[in-house]
Amino acid sequence: MARRAPLAGIRVADFTWVWAGPFCTLQLAHLGAEVIRVESANRLCVTRLLPPFAEFEPGPNRSGYFNQYNQGKKSITLDLKRPEAVEAARRLCAASDVVVENFAAGVMDRMGLGYDVLRELRRDVIMIALSGYGATGPDRDKVSYGPAQVPLSGMSSVTGYRGFPPMHVGISYGDPTGGLHGAVAVLAALLHRARTGEGQYIDLSQWETSMAVLPEAIMSWTMNGVAPERDGNRDPQMAPHGVFRAAGEDRWIALAVEDDADWRRFAAAIGRPELAEDPRFASAAGRKRHEDALDDVVSAWTVERSPEEATAVLQGAGIAAFTAATNQDLAEDPHLNARGFFVELPHPEVGVRKHVGVPWRMSASACRVTHSAPVLGADTDAVLRDICGYSESDVSRLHAAGALT
Amino acid sequence: MPGALAHLRVVEIGDGVSAAYATKLLADLGADVVKIEPPGRGDRTRHRGPFPDGVPHPEKSGLFLYLNANKHGITLDLARPEGRDALGRLAARADLLVHDVHPTAMAASGLDYERLAAAHPPLVMTSIAPFGLDGPHATYRAIDVVSWNAGGVATLNGEPRHPELPPLKAFGDQSSFQAGVNAAIGSLGALFARVTTGRGEHVEVSTQECLAAILELTFEFWPYCGLVASRLGAKPIQPLCFMECRDGWIYICCVEEHQWRQFVEIMGSPEWAQMELFENRLARGANFDALQVLLQEWCREQSVADLYEAAQRRRVPFAPVSTMGDLVASPHLRARGFFATIDHPVAGSVEMPGAPYRMSATPWTLRMPAPTLGQHTAEVLAEIGVDAGALRRAGVA
Repeated sequence: MARRAPLAGIRVADFTWVWAGPFCTLQLAHLGAEVIRVESANRLCVTRLLPPFAEFEPGPNRSGYFNQYNQGKKSITLDLKRPEAVEAARRLCAASDVVVENFAAGVMDRMGLGYDVLRELRRDVIMIALSGYGATGPDRDKVSYGPAQVPLSGMSSVTGYRGFPPMHVGISYGDPTGGLHGAVAVLAALLHRARTGEGQYIDLSQWETSMAVLPEAIMSWTMNGVAPERDGNRDPQMAPHGVFRAAGEDRWIALAVEDDADWRRFAAAIGRPELAEDPRFASAAGRKRHEDALDDVVSAWTVERSPEEATAVLQGAGIAAFTAATNQDLAEDPHLNARGFFVELPHPEVGVRKHVGVPWRMSASACRVTHSAPVLGADTDAVLRDICGYSESDVSRLHAAGALT
Repeated sequence: MPGALAHLRVVEIGDGVSAAYATKLLADLGADVVKIEPPGRGDRTRHRGPFPDGVPHPEKSGLFLYLNANKHGITLDLARPEGRDALGRLAARADLLVHDVHPTAMAASGLDYERLAAAHPPLVMTSIAPFGLDGPHATYRAIDVVSWNAGGVATLNGEPRHPELPPLKAFGDQSSFQAGVNAAIGSLGALFARVTTGRGEHVEVSTQECLAAILELTFEFWPYCGLVASRLGAKPIQPLCFMECRDGWIYICCVEEHQWRQFVEIMGSPEWAQMELFENRLARGANFDALQVLLQEWCREQSVADLYEAAQRRRVPFAPVSTMGDLVASPHLRARGFFATIDHPVAGSVEMPGAPYRMSATPWTLRMPAPTLGQHTAEVLAEIGVDAGALRRAGVA
C-alpha cells in the first residue's frame, strides 16, 4: 500500500514571509499539507533577496535561505494592492483549511481577509497570526524583527561569556521557536476540527513562545528575585562542562561530565586515571569548586587531538562529547548522510543542492520533502484555475490587469 | 471550553526536558498525561532548580514544576519485569507514548514499538534521541552543550574580536526544548494520520537534526557557495548591536536605510553621522569599530525605555535587552495574562511562563500543579488492574 502523508488533503494559504511564518508552514508541508505561499514580485520575501546565492549570483530563485525553508511548497504571485488580487486571495482562503499570516496587526482586516470575514466564507477555517508581540496588549503595534526577539525575550541577558556584555545566540532564535509552536497549535486545532467540525483563530506572540523555553531563568526571578549570571558554556552543577580547544585552526570540542561515574571513566579515557583519585575532583561540588583547574586539565588533552578523534575516544568511554560542527562539518557528517537526513532534489535554477530535511521519521506515514522550493509564481495559473475556480480566460484577464505580479 | 486535545491519553517517560516538554505542550491543551518516573530519584529535572532560596528539594525545582504541571505522576522501575508489565498495560490504553530513553536502553525499558503496537495497534510511540535511533552515532550520548554543538548552532555564536573564546551555547537546555517541540509536531502529525488510517506508528526525533534544521541562512552557504560559516566574521550590515545605556542594555536594529535615518534623527542628527564612513549599511558594517564607539558614547546617556519608545514611535524595531525582572513586570505581558500561577502542595505558590498561544475555541489551561513523586501511582495503577502496594513493597513503584 502506498504511504499516505498525515496532512494529505489539507490546504494551507500561506501569507507569511521571512523566517518564522515560513518555518511554521514548512512543518505542515513536511507532514504533507498543500502549502501555497502567496507572494508578490513587488514585495519579494526578504529571504529571496538575501544570500547565499548559488555561485554568488543573485536572483529571487537562487537564494539558499529561501530554498531551504520553502521546500515542498507552492508559490503564487498576487499584487494585493489590487482589488482583483484580493478577490483571488479571498477565494484561496475559502478553499483552504488553514490560513497563516504574519503581517502587522490589522493588515489582513483592512484587506478584507480578517478572521471574521474568512469565517463567513468557511465556517471551519483555522487561522493563525504569528506576530512579534501578539494581537492584543499595549505593545501590540510595536515592530519586531527576528534578531530583536532574542534580546526582547530575555535570552540575551542570560547568554554570554562571563564578564562580557549580553549576547545573541547566533541565529534569530525567536523565529524557529515561534514557527514550531505555531505548527503545534495548528495541528491541535486540526485534530479538534476533525472531531467537532469547529475551526478557530490562533494568536501567537513570538515574544511569548521565546519565554516558554526560558523557564529556569524566569522562575529564578519569580521564586527568588535573582536572574542567572552569564556564564559562558558552564553549567551550575556539572564540571567539566564546556567547549574546549582542539587541534587545528579554530577547532573545538564540546563535552560534559554528568556525574561521578562519568568522571572516573573520563579520567581513564584521557590517560589520567590518577585524577579519579584526586579528592578535589571526587564529587560534582568539588569539580565545580575547582573548575578552572579542571578545565586546564581537559584543554591540555583536547588541544593535542582533532575534535573527531577526541569525540571517538570520549564517546567510546560513554562520555557526552562532539565536535563544534560547522555547516561544512554537518554537510559532510557521515552519520547524518547515512540517515538520509539531507534532501537533494532538482531545482530549475540552482540544480541539485544539499538541503536540510525533516528532523523526524515516521514508520507508516509518508513524511518527506516532496519537491524543491518553488520559483516565484510557479503555481499561479494552476492554483487560480484549479483551486480558486477561475477559467482560463479569467486568468488571462487577471494577468493583463497586472493583478498577478 | 475543553482543550483541543482533551480526548487524548498520553504516557510519558521523560528524564529531562525533551519528552517532558513535548507532553507539556499536549497536557496544556487538555491531554491526560501520565508521567512515569524512576522510584527514588525521580526525573532529573527535580534536581535542577531553580529552587526557592536556592535550597535543593525534589518537589521544589522550578524547571520540573514548569514542565510537569497538568500531568499525573507515577513511579515505576522499568528495569524490572513488573514495571515493564505495568508500562505495557498503560500503553495498551494510550493514544500516545513519548519518551527520551536513550536508544541503547530502550529494549531493557520495554520500549519495543512492534510489541506494544501488536497489543494495541492505534498506539503512536515517539522516541526522542540525541542522534536518532540509527546511523553510526546512534549510540552516542549528548546533553545540551554537546547537542547544541553537534547540531551546528554553537559555531555561529561568539565574539568576533575574541577568537580565543569558544563557540558559545545559548542559556538553558535549548537543545531539548527544540527536540521537544519537534516531537510534539511529529506526534500530532501521527495522531492526525490515525484519524484516517486507524493505526498508530513509531515516530523518531533526532535532537541533532532538530538543531541542524534551524541554522537560519548559514547551512546553505556550504552547498550554495562553498563557504564555511563562522562566529568570527564581522556582520556585513550595521548597526545590529548591543549598546549599554545608563540603566541597562538595548539592542540597536537598523536593517534598512530608512531605519538608520530615523535613528540619526533620534540622536539629534550629529555631524559624524553624515561622514562617508557611515553612508550606507555596508559602509557602516565595514567601519563598525568607529561607529560603535560613537554610538556607545551617545547611548550611555540614554535610558533604555525612552530610546526603545522613541525608536518604536518611528517604526524602528529596537528592543530592550529584557532582564527577568523586566519580563515579569511588563505591562504588556501582564495585560495579556502571560504569566500563570499555581499552588503546589510542597512548593507553595509558583509563578511560571503561561500560554505560548491563544486558541479562540480551545484554550490553553493550567489545571493542576506538577505531581509530587509517585503522587498518582496507586490511583493510576488501580485503573489498569495492578496492585500498587505489591509493587511498592517490591521496590518497583
